[in-house]
Amino acid sequence: MASAHSAFAHQFDDARQQREASQLGIWLFLATEILFFGVLFAAYAVTRINHPAAFAAGSRLTNLPLASLNTAVLLTSSLTMALGVHAAQAGARRMTVNWLYATVALGLAFLAIKGIEYGIDFKENLVPGAGFGYDGPGRDQVQLYFYLYYLITMVHAIHVLIGVIAIAVIARIASRGRYSAEYFTPVDVTGLYWHLVDIIWLFVYPSLYLVSRS
Amino acid sequence: MTESHLASPRTYVISWLLLLGLLAVSIASAFVPLGAMNVAINLAISFTQAAIVLLFSMHLRAAHPTLHLVAVVGFFGIAILIALTLADVLTR
Repeated sequence: MASAHSAFAHQFDDARQQREASQLGIWLFLATEILFFGVLFAAYAVTRINHPAAFAAGSRLTNLPLASLNTAVLLTSSLTMALGVHAAQAGARRMTVNWLYATVALGLAFLAIKGIEYGIDFKENLVPGAGFGYDGPGRDQVQLYFYLYYLITMVHAIHVLIGVIAIAVIARIASRGRYSAEYFTPVDVTGLYWHLVDIIWLFVYPSLYLVSRS
Repeated sequence: MTESHLASPRTYVISWLLLLGLLAVSIASAFVPLGAMNVAINLAISFTQAAIVLLFSMHLRAAHPTLHLVAVVGFFGIAILIALTLADVLTR
């Protein structure tokens, strides 16, 4: 039913209005996501203000090279996503699918690198609890840092995973030629979600890894 | 139907390079002992990076005003949440 008449649902005047309604919908969702992560950042700010030395010590125990590489990977995935949306807008099916799968690959690379990083953390016993592997000053407060480290990075990683699945589904649908220059809203809104997950990481990264390196 | 609000691939590549450049600056600045200025620099870089993604990759620059409003409400909500929380914590 991919005729020109079914490019938009009957409750809309035209495809443009439908697109704007979809964009408003995804932006409302993104606003709630910003607030959702905002609570985590508020908890982070309060704990860091109360225990600045412990946050500096905890931050130095994290793996900066892997986290920095991951930031670059995620920024690059945002580029491939933007190019995918651009290709979809131009109605270039093959290009759209390729850019979307490139984004999926980079998203999976991010998760793999994060997994390796967690593996190193676990090996060094940097997990809050009885066997916590840091015995320096402020041991209990450093555990608070690591509690927030895992909470924030894992909640973010779940968002990346959801994004990867969504983009893979959209790529598959795109490969069947279901999108066109007139109708590519799913590609557009999935891209907006992916960019927001990227933005959140741009705040997570310095907050957790760059507290004190000097 | 004009969809001129979507940026060109050139814009995306330039913003990507800018974002990577800012990432390098933030890493380098973390190794310079500046005290409280380190936090200020990190936050300034994060907000600049976020602005680049919001304006160009997410097309807010040329988006419908309603979308500007919704995006601002999200960030404004966080600002209230954190500012009022810190107003308590910092003045005890």
